[in-house]
Amino acid sequence: MTSIDLALTGISLGAIAALSGIGVLVTYRTNGVLNFAQGGIATLVAYVFREMVVEWGLPIWLAAIIALAVLSPGIGLLLERLVFRPLARRRASAAESLVASLGVLVLTLGMTAGIWGLGSRTDAPSIFPRESVTLLGDTRVGVDALAELALVVVFCVVLGLLAAKTRFGRQVRAVVDDRQLAELSGVPADKVAAAGWALGTTLAGLTGILLAPQFRLNPYGLTLLVLETFAVVVAARLASLPVAVLTALGIAIAQSELKQFTFDGDLGTIFTVLQSNLFIVALLVLLLVVPRLRELGNGDSGATGSFSSRGAPPSGPVSRYEARRDILGKLGGAALLLAPLTFAPADLRSAFMVPALALVFLSLVILTGYSGQLSLGVAGYAGLGALFTLKLANGDFFGLPEIPGIWAMFLGALMVAPIGLITGWPAIRRRGLTLALTTFAVGAVVSRFVFEQPDFASGLYVDPLTLFGAELNDKAFYFFELVCLAIGLLVVRNLHHGRLGRALLAVRDHTEGAAAVGVDVRNLKLLAFTISSVVAALGGGLITFSASSFATDDFAPLQSLLWFTAVIVFGADSAAGAIIAAGFIVAIDVLAPAGSSILAVGILALALGWMPGGLMSAVRGGIAWVARVLADEFVPSPHTDHAAASRLTGAGSAASPGGAGRAGADGAAGSAVRVVLPAGAPAPTAFGEALLTAVATHTARSGLALETLPSMRAAADASADGQNRAGHRQRLPGLPVERGV
Amino acid sequence: MSRNDLRARDLVRRYGGLTAVENVSMDVPRGQITGLIGPNGAGKSTLFSLLTGVEQPDGGKVLLGQRDITRMSPDARSRRGLVQTFQVPSLFPSLTVGDNLLVAAENRRRDYAGGLLGLKARGRASALAVVDEVLDSLELADIRGAVAGTLPTGALRLVEFARALCARPDVLLLDEPASGLDAAETDRFSALVRRIADEGVAILLVDHDVDLVFAVVDRVYAMVGGRVVAEGAPDVVRNDPTVRSVYLAQGPLASKSTSAPPPGGVSPPNGLSPLPQPAFPAAR
Repeated sequence: MTSIDLALTGISLGAIAALSGIGVLVTYRTNGVLNFAQGGIATLVAYVFREMVVEWGLPIWLAAIIALAVLSPGIGLLLERLVFRPLARRRASAAESLVASLGVLVLTLGMTAGIWGLGSRTDAPSIFPRESVTLLGDTRVGVDALAELALVVVFCVVLGLLAAKTRFGRQVRAVVDDRQLAELSGVPADKVAAAGWALGTTLAGLTGILLAPQFRLNPYGLTLLVLETFAVVVAARLASLPVAVLTALGIAIAQSELKQFTFDGDLGTIFTVLQSNLFIVALLVLLLVVPRLRELGNGDSGATGSFSSRGAPPSGPVSRYEARRDILGKLGGAALLLAPLTFAPADLRSAFMVPALALVFLSLVILTGYSGQLSLGVAGYAGLGALFTLKLANGDFFGLPEIPGIWAMFLGALMVAPIGLITGWPAIRRRGLTLALTTFAVGAVVSRFVFEQPDFASGLYVDPLTLFGAELNDKAFYFFELVCLAIGLLVVRNLHHGRLGRALLAVRDHTEGAAAVGVDVRNLKLLAFTISSVVAALGGGLITFSASSFATDDFAPLQSLLWFTAVIVFGADSAAGAIIAAGFIVAIDVLAPAGSSILAVGILALALGWMPGGLMSAVRGGIAWVARVLADEFVPSPHTDHAAASRLTGAGSAASPGGAGRAGADGAAGSAVRVVLPAGAPAPTAFGEALLTAVATHTARSGLALETLPSMRAAADASADGQNRAGHRQRLPGLPVERGV
Repeated sequence: MSRNDLRARDLVRRYGGLTAVENVSMDVPRGQITGLIGPNGAGKSTLFSLLTGVEQPDGGKVLLGQRDITRMSPDARSRRGLVQTFQVPSLFPSLTVGDNLLVAAENRRRDYAGGLLGLKARGRASALAVVDEVLDSLELADIRGAVAGTLPTGALRLVEFARALCARPDVLLLDEPASGLDAAETDRFSALVRRIADEGVAILLVDHDVDLVFAVVDRVYAMVGGRVVAEGAPDVVRNDPTVRSVYLAQGPLASKSTSAPPPGGVSPPNGLSPLPQPAFPAAR
């Protein structure tokens, strides 16, 4: 084929990438959300489209209309209304929006995998006829390529005109500038945002439907393909539509042109990979080269403090009560982790994955929870750890002698440290979306260029581990895993306590402030990256030994996104949360059909809007809430009518001579609570006066209720109508009440 | 510990075609409070970033003592004794006040390996002693255990200042330290800054509140359009014709903000009255 022919074949892919890029850009520019779910939505729509055409036998045009005019925009509108509008309303950080979009990605992946399975399908229908027309002499070009190109041009022109010439375009710009301010000036911000989402998801659906027939249709593959087109968006610096389109066409044509060359040897292998992976390489290179993305807002979407609910453990001495509770919690956790040792052999083997996955999650706790850096490439480090371990154990690691499996695992993990250090380097000056995308690109490049290459990743056999010549049986192996997990926990503990922990949290909380008082920000970030990569690598090694094989899919780039989401969901700064997350995912995978754990994590991620600190802090908050509700059981609601309130007071006073003297006296005093201002304080304004009165009234009411409880119960028993009011109390007879529960 | 002076020599910083800082030289000597004033857009903030290392100059040098620190990162400068506070208080919200200070107090050592292995850091006792001393002297001991994210603005400023002190500064750069403080707090703060300077620290005070600056500083630099147009004792700068014309053109000299009257002073009636003339004690 000549260069021109190759270029023309590249156009089709380029045009699709451009459409995808336009979709991402539209969503970003109207909502400030970099929509990682683009890939998942594209895949979901492609599957539905195929289902309609192949299984239900609908005509292609009808299926296309349903998929693109009803389903895709519907998904967008739904997402805007249910997920992203609440986030925008409470001015959530860009990092939270990013996690929400990851949650949608995981959810759509889980739905697709749950309904249609993880297998590949080759019968995805094409919208455009598979014909080609002759242009200029004997050059032939596919109808689909021409049609796709036409679509790109149409979208560009329409969007360009819309943005520049219409009232709607001005409104978009206003909303992008400052949503709240725009709303105050009468711009319907929600409508603008919804329109942006609908258009974005429609383009996502179109991308999926167009890509599916060109490649095999499978949930992970197609999703990743769409995410690779983020290269286009990065080249456009998240802003320029024309640059995005030109880059898309440029990369696709260049990738196509590469096919006319072949090289021999190792270089040739790399080159072959490059021929089909230019987009992901371009993504990484562009991220390293482009100085700054034009992020919306303050560009500080790397602030992951919002995922964390707690600070460092206080530096002072802890109370004995807290120490005892802490030890009890640890003992309980250890008992749960040791429980699988008593399981049946098959169940024990299923449990192998828990400590392994927990270690990978711990690495994310270090990076995201403690040092506040987003990382979407953890599967890369885990996979490298596994690969190095097996190579060392098999004795084909650059001439190194064969090393027993256990030591190979530790050595392999340590060998990932320099890689973590190098890839952490770009992270020093990057934050927010740039950092998220960079780590994602690193993970994807490692996956494509290392894990998927037969030269590196084939012929790896997993021998059972041995210790001093004796083969580890299942129980011993699980115990060994727990030892590794304990080492990981120790590292995490030391990173969280003492001055290292304080300094890391200082960097997470306020990087410039930390630098201003001399905290070595650069080296701390590198340290966190390096340690985190080693812990992840150790986890990766254990995953491989748990599964008894090295599977590329275990360390696919999308795994990173899933794992990251899971860690955020269970509480980014909670080591216990990481272990529980691992147990949760493994348990669901064992008990429920494949893909269920993905679905569950996705659903939980979308619920993150209501529990900002993750599941662990929600649990902590939940316990406090239950305690409060129990206490409230004994407190009449503020809406109690006047007659009832006075009757209660009366009953309280009446009962006071008969035994409950203290309570009665307090109750009487409670009705006369007064807020005493400190000496020398200025006289309150009218509003302040009203506020103080309200506080006093409330205090009086609740204080009265708590203190006169015994006599209230007596009154309720005595009076017929009181039984209605205090009816719920009869289900909780004699529950003790304390102040300050 | 020997105290160092901060000196800037011929600093230049350009943004595209705009020269934000043009050949600015400045001395911030130990034991004195040096002020930096100028209208909005005069280049104060840019100069401040060049001194703290947040930005790199296109020309010129920054010297700390005899040492050229022009290319050093902000945290390296801080470890050498050049510490700044921010216009917007920059505490670590999830740490307690005590831990906020401790982060600064233990900044000089970088013992990561020991930290990872869980060893007790050396010098921890001395760091805690520094924190105790600063907390006591600023009367902050009561809120030591409070989580910083829950404090009101006035307290945040004071704690940030305390944190800067815990870093044991030779030179203290204060960026609008009085914004958000009420009149009484501002007075207390001025006295505090004077006390720190008397202990031999070099202090640079950048503030919109010209009254505050003239009241506490020993020496003032006035910037307009990226250049230093006047320098010297407060009285000299106050009466400098260029400074007067700039401030008269911009409104009252004490034009801190449009909403609140400047602390310790009365707003001139029509915004064009001459500068407040009372003789300020130049120092102490």
